[in-house]
Amino acid sequence: MKLGLAAAFLGATLLAGTASAADKRWDGADDLPVNPLACSAGEANAAPTAKPYDGGRPTNAADKAGKPITLVDVPKLIGIGYFNATSKGMQDAAKALGNVTVKTDGPTEAKIDEQIKFIDNYITSGVDGILFAANDPVAIAPVLKKALSKGIHVVGYDANATPDAREWFVNQAEFNGIAKAMIDSMAKEAGEDKSFAIVTSTFTTPNQARWIAEMWAYAQKCHPKLKWLETVEAQEDNNLSFNQATTLINKHGDKLAGLFGMTSVATPASAEAVTKAKLCGKVAVVGLATPNAMKPYVNADCVKSVVLWNPVDLGYAATYVMRAVVDGSLKPGATSVDAGKLGKLNVVNGSEILLGSPFIFTKQNIKDFDF
Amino acid sequence: MTTVTLAGAEADPRRWLKAFASQEALLAIAVIGLAIAVGLYNPRFLAARNLSDVLLGNAYIAVAAVGMTMVIISGNIDISVGALIGVLATISGTLAVNGAPIVVAWLAALVAGILVMALQGIIIAYLRIPAIVVTLGMLSILKGGLISVTGGKWITDLPDSFHLADIELFGVLPFPVVLMILVTILAALWMRYSASGRAVYAVGGNAEAARLCGISQPRTIVMVFALHGMFAGAAALLYATQLRVIQSTVPPNLELTIITASVVGGVSILGGTGTVVGSTLAAVLIAEIASALVFIDVSPYWIRAVQGVLILVTVIADILRRRRMAGA
Repeated sequence: MKLGLAAAFLGATLLAGTASAADKRWDGADDLPVNPLACSAGEANAAPTAKPYDGGRPTNAADKAGKPITLVDVPKLIGIGYFNATSKGMQDAAKALGNVTVKTDGPTEAKIDEQIKFIDNYITSGVDGILFAANDPVAIAPVLKKALSKGIHVVGYDANATPDAREWFVNQAEFNGIAKAMIDSMAKEAGEDKSFAIVTSTFTTPNQARWIAEMWAYAQKCHPKLKWLETVEAQEDNNLSFNQATTLINKHGDKLAGLFGMTSVATPASAEAVTKAKLCGKVAVVGLATPNAMKPYVNADCVKSVVLWNPVDLGYAATYVMRAVVDGSLKPGATSVDAGKLGKLNVVNGSEILLGSPFIFTKQNIKDFDF
Repeated sequence: MTTVTLAGAEADPRRWLKAFASQEALLAIAVIGLAIAVGLYNPRFLAARNLSDVLLGNAYIAVAAVGMTMVIISGNIDISVGALIGVLATISGTLAVNGAPIVVAWLAALVAGILVMALQGIIIAYLRIPAIVVTLGMLSILKGGLISVTGGKWITDLPDSFHLADIELFGVLPFPVVLMILVTILAALWMRYSASGRAVYAVGGNAEAARLCGISQPRTIVMVFALHGMFAGAAALLYATQLRVIQSTVPPNLELTIITASVVGGVSILGGTGTVVGSTLAAVLIAEIASALVFIDVSPYWIRAVQGVLILVTVIADILRRRRMAGA
């Protein structure tokens, strides 16, 4: 029994030794190429590498440029706060444009077979355009291609389909954009030369690994004095995330000035750990999370910035993109599109429209969101 | 266990040696030894705050392991408990956010836990279907049912008074830790001194002999599962009230952690022997190791490997002990 413990510790200590030697990338980051954004918001970012248009095209779509159009929006599911918010953005855009009618309809559970049925029914009943957020990028492709073949315009948002099954996709956030928002918030709240730790899901989860890689690259470039203490794994487990964040607080004591939550589970759990340790205001919590889970901490002034995107803006942008496609003002090869109050949005990755900088939920605006 | 021989060996000095070599004593030594070892490496580990956080954050595992230990001693196993804890947490949280009196929300978790587990006990005991099959079925039902009903939506906006785990008795003693200790002591006394408690050992140790002594095996098994359900309900409450959100999903691998605590605590996987004191000490040790790994800068992923080593060492030690006893 004791022998077993001793052996485990020996192995553990050896591993610790090898881990600290590999310091090229921060723990929890992947090794794909990084593309950090410019430090200040005003500076122009390097133009993204031009990639030819890889979206699909409708066959014999009726020319409705400037004429009233009817759209249907089929999100992953209806009745949840997140897609209520995208739907509200679409209604706002329809009102602003004046010549668009859009209706949201879809399954009550995030099921791809249900979603396909909804889209199929709307192809039969006839609409000018379909907006979608796919439950499965591959499985949804055939029904979207069918819509294109019937002359219906197809634009995705939130969750993509294979590119040739739709015309454009409104991408809510790129990895380097999230990374910049996270690091900038941490440097502002904890301090330029302070130390922080990261609570992530696992070192190999693709999105989290990508964000950490971009955060590391951006911090090296723009906030080199920030001290990176360590990354701990907490899977997508609420209680484990809480225990890990608590352990980090106890381990580093006064040295710890900030915690990053890399998942929508880790961020509220880290905020809870800081609250329980009575360190609100002393340990900054910055992270990706949905507003409802963060409201108690934001309202209690324990958390100042929750990084995500604004789903109302996402729905708004998707509707403007659809209008521009129908009007012929957004054609393959275009580099930007006009999106009303959101201004000009850039085309990235061939056939995607980037929503812009991530949205930061604060005490002032978080009450307006319910998801 | 071997109360008869122990009582007969009153004057035997080897009794002390035996007591010293018991699983509970070894675990207690490991818990203290590990704390000192990690404390030498990083003194912050020994701060009262950290030690209390380790206990506080994992008390629910020890509470659930008390029930699991009883189930295993009775010669059964339950792999549905992790999923059940997820479901009970969701039931309790849903009632609380929908305006039910807090006490009702709390009691609902206990009652639902008892009902689900008693049902499984009835199927296992009266239909004579192996526990692993019945609880595997229940695991799927609970897991699938939970995600279908909730759609994975989190429960937020829980009322402040719901947070049982935040209560500090007399302003200093955290409720989860008090509950863990209380449940362990009461269960240990019950199992050692009451006729129904001894029946659990009898049924798991030698079912035929138990029957001849007039113990109803099916009734004992249903009782054990009902109690296990109650402890699962209590564990679910600690689990649900620790944070401001309830995830509405089944906590990953929770049943494995609970079974590990029971096995490392010295319960024989063949039934008939083991104590709840052992499983609680083991739960504390496992939690302590998880925290220690962060303090000595090792990936917490190693916790699984370390748990595996603990299980193997314990089971091998158990078998060696049995052989020596059989040979003596």
